[in-house]
Amino acid sequence: MAANSFFGRDVISVRDLDRRGLEDVFGAAERVMAMPAAERREVARGRTLGYLFYEPSTRTRLSFQAAMASLGGSSLGISDVASSSASKGESLADTVRTLSIYADALVLRHPLDGSSRFAAEVSGKPVINGGSGTEEHPTQAVQDLFTMRREKGRIDGLTVGIIGDLKYGRTVYSLLRALGNYDVKVHLASPESLRIRSDSVYDIRKRLDFTESEQMDDRVGELDVLYVTRIQKERFPDEEEYIRVKGSYVVGLDVLRRMKKGAIILHPLPRLDEISPELDGTEQARYFRQAEYGMHVRAALLALILREEGV
Amino acid sequence: MRESELIVRRISEGTVIDHIDEGMGLRVLGALGIDGGDGGLTTVALNVPSGKFKKKDIIKIEDRFLADDDTNKLAVIAPRATVNIIRNYKLAEKRRVSLPNEIERIFRCSNPDCITNSGREHIESVMDVIDREVLALKCRYCGRILDVSGIGRAPAAAG
Repeated sequence: MAANSFFGRDVISVRDLDRRGLEDVFGAAERVMAMPAAERREVARGRTLGYLFYEPSTRTRLSFQAAMASLGGSSLGISDVASSSASKGESLADTVRTLSIYADALVLRHPLDGSSRFAAEVSGKPVINGGSGTEEHPTQAVQDLFTMRREKGRIDGLTVGIIGDLKYGRTVYSLLRALGNYDVKVHLASPESLRIRSDSVYDIRKRLDFTESEQMDDRVGELDVLYVTRIQKERFPDEEEYIRVKGSYVVGLDVLRRMKKGAIILHPLPRLDEISPELDGTEQARYFRQAEYGMHVRAALLALILREEGV
Repeated sequence: MRESELIVRRISEGTVIDHIDEGMGLRVLGALGIDGGDGGLTTVALNVPSGKFKKKDIIKIEDRFLADDDTNKLAVIAPRATVNIIRNYKLAEKRRVSLPNEIERIFRCSNPDCITNSGREHIESVMDVIDREVLALKCRYCGRILDVSGIGRAPAAAG
């Protein structure tokens, strides 16, 4: 096996992962998934993951904890900053430094852009970005691509449609950057006020072929993957603006019927009303499987970061 | 001797930054971290006549010899500046500023939600120069591209 380039390394941005790096994680995730539970529990036995969540989370934090437990390690951290010294005004830097004393690797979610890169500079242990502001959510992107690869058998050649909140959705920016490593076509659709930020896709445009419009309707039949995102109320500076655009997109059975055979629907979750629950049992709906893969992908990343020999 | 050279006195040892774009002299001082706090003599001349219709700013810093790393920071705010190192009243070295790969501290990230603007952390902004042709700068922390149109006149300087 080739040298493990992830050992001891931070995972801050999808920009830090080229195609080979992504494929290394996918390969590790496949191996972790295929391992008998007893063998898997030896991978990070005695190691500790520290988590620091300044924003709410269900899947990211729980999947990291579940991943660490599945590798035989343990987790400790702060999921409610109101209960920590951050509520007394302690800086992020000092909180990160402290947690890095007690843990072998850290995962951070924080409302400010660039927070993870800063944390990595002050931490004595590797830092994984678990979502930074509206900027990045790199492990979600790795999970999204892994899901496409598993469920569609490939990433190259796919046509991917992304709808919803493209302006504030950090998963979208990470996903676009990750897709830029592959030969894919991307169609983006959002209300005008929620278009992707041009200053955040400056480097993506050079590597990725994508179109932008307000509707996906005329493209639905071309898509291999429909990626739906939530309109994120908490990111809107103005509630009136949120009320104007909420419910702009609802994927229901009518959309499903127009999708081509074998097409799949993904969503980073949580969802509100943008995907009708009546779709959940259909063969196109793969978002809960996507959440399951998230746990394995994070286990793979942790194994690569914590063990020089990889997995 | 030209009029512009007579406006401020000659220095025996130190650095003269000449041909700074009109009105940018104070930003150059800020970028270099020169605030007079070290007790050294620094002379600033703003709006000095230069050529028939133009004006420029000049800064003379006595007993301090600025290195390339310092003066290259000026490439974005004063791209036409020349740096003259003076020893014993004579010009010992003359150089133009050239764009470095990264620029620390001078520009505040334009993204209000960037960690560098949090005000709570001990952190300086760092901009990576990602495109020399169109002068595109990217915040090393949040990755946002700094709007470079009219950057030289932007009032927001960090530090």
